[in-house]
Amino acid sequence: MIKKLINIGIPSKGRLRKNILKIFKKNKLNLVSERGERDLLGSIKNLPNVKILYLHAREIIERLGDDSLDLGFSGYDLLKESEVNVQKKINVIKKYKFGKATLVIAIPDPWIDVQTVADLEEIAFEFKDKKKKRLRVATKYPNLTREFLFSKGVTQFKLVSSLGATEAYPFTGSSEIITDITSTGETIRANNLRILKDGEILKSEACMMTSRSALKNNAFKRIVKLFSK
Amino acid sequence: MKSKNLSEKILRSVKSKGFKYIDLPSVIEVNHILQRSGENFRKFIFSFIDQNGSELCLRPDLTIASCLRYLENDLKGKEKIFYSGQAYRKSLNKKDSIIREQVGFEIIGSIDEKNDDKEIINTALKSLSSLKYSKGTLKIGNVEIFDLLISKLDIPKRWKLRLSRHFWRESYFNDLLKRLETNSDVDPTIVEIDKKRYLKILKSNQQAIVAGRSIEEILKRFNNKIKDPRRASKGKNVSKIIKEFLKINCPIDKAAEKLNTFFKKNSINLAIDQKYFPTSKKKIQKLNVEFSTSFGRELEYYTGMVFKIDIKNKFKNINIINGGRYDKLISDLGSNKKVPAVGAALNLNY
Repeated sequence: MIKKLINIGIPSKGRLRKNILKIFKKNKLNLVSERGERDLLGSIKNLPNVKILYLHAREIIERLGDDSLDLGFSGYDLLKESEVNVQKKINVIKKYKFGKATLVIAIPDPWIDVQTVADLEEIAFEFKDKKKKRLRVATKYPNLTREFLFSKGVTQFKLVSSLGATEAYPFTGSSEIITDITSTGETIRANNLRILKDGEILKSEACMMTSRSALKNNAFKRIVKLFSK
Repeated sequence: MKSKNLSEKILRSVKSKGFKYIDLPSVIEVNHILQRSGENFRKFIFSFIDQNGSELCLRPDLTIASCLRYLENDLKGKEKIFYSGQAYRKSLNKKDSIIREQVGFEIIGSIDEKNDDKEIINTALKSLSSLKYSKGTLKIGNVEIFDLLISKLDIPKRWKLRLSRHFWRESYFNDLLKRLETNSDVDPTIVEIDKKRYLKILKSNQQAIVAGRSIEEILKRFNNKIKDPRRASKGKNVSKIIKEFLKINCPIDKAAEKLNTFFKKNSINLAIDQKYFPTSKKKIQKLNVEFSTSFGRELEYYTGMVFKIDIKNKFKNINIINGGRYDKLISDLGSNKKVPAVGAALNLNY
């Protein structure tokens, strides 16, 4: 029988990548890349049946969902943002102490009459009834944002998808308010925005995740144990 | 899907009541749906982008397609129409079919509202006679009575609007009542800080726009909010009245009497005539006719009378017909004028 190759996904960029590489080091797992640091494929020394793939953190979730990855490291926020049928196929094995951030709703700071999501609900209806427009919410997290706003009674809005620099949107006429991920809130404040008092949508951190089907494989379980430290 | 024979029988009976058959487009622009129902509706629609970059979807119900037809063809005056076909909607329940077979009929643009309400119910009852069933219920409600009650209660205006807006979302509405009983509306420490900012902003250009809102508008709302606080003791009483009101459920012939007793008991200056309801018969054909104050909470667009008919045949209970009045739907979709409309749909997926 041919031994099944175990595919592990690691974020290809940024702070998340750095911290995850530290976990490999701590567990004495030596990562090898034939073509140097920019290589997007790699392996672990002395573990011939393991393949390492360096991917975008969002893509790691998608690939766990379609079983092309067995194990992956990514953010809890990205897992929760993914489609329900993808989430169903993924298990969170471990939550780490790094990569901590919160997805929040932020409004322009000069809107002093808006303190809570309940205020926002009123403003959203004012936009609809008086201005005949929808309140626009810019975000990289449309699914989480939609669910949260709806659960708080804010039903009249339009999502504007953003890929970055979301904080500038309210002041460039692209949206009125935003939701974004933040760890200290500094960028939000620096851009003349304010987080609503009850505007916390989700707390997130880096996680180790597996595709649910991989867990049936015993060789895989042994590999997972290697990351216990 | 039921036999073609049956759906033809139903169509014939609707036609005999003077309704005109129309064809409706299968795809509509997603913007219209979001305009009416907000972003959350996206979960239920099948959408795609056409070659011009417009986002279209399969019609999630027929009423919206019919209202769009009235609006886009710039129609005026009264129209009695009916249609049949499939509506396409995703469901959270895996067992539900994504294709819904419906027959619908509507009266659009007429001013004789009470009479139209009656006519729609009568047409629904007539179409029902093509079906075999042993017994059932016709349940009638009216969102207007709820709004009237709210307007008479002793709470700040913004709370009245809020409760009216969310009548149709039961779980959030209950959250609102819970909040009404406590006093967490305005946080005094934050108000203090913001008063300083308020005074500072007051000196700046009132017409300046910050993310779509003028400074004037922001200050005005801030002012209203502080000047119109809510007292927890009053809130508790109001919440009690609302909860009690929503429990009223009786045979239709007792509806006015029950409501008036309730209003009197709670010193609310309202009275309702039995003629207000589309019928006063507590039994029609094999149906018990009931009135319920809390009924009509499933769909946001109803603005007045709402009804549903559930029937029982040998095997199961079936929700067969749903309908009601939606006077704001056409203006929500983009009409400058208010166009009254009332209609119902018969569900053939059972």
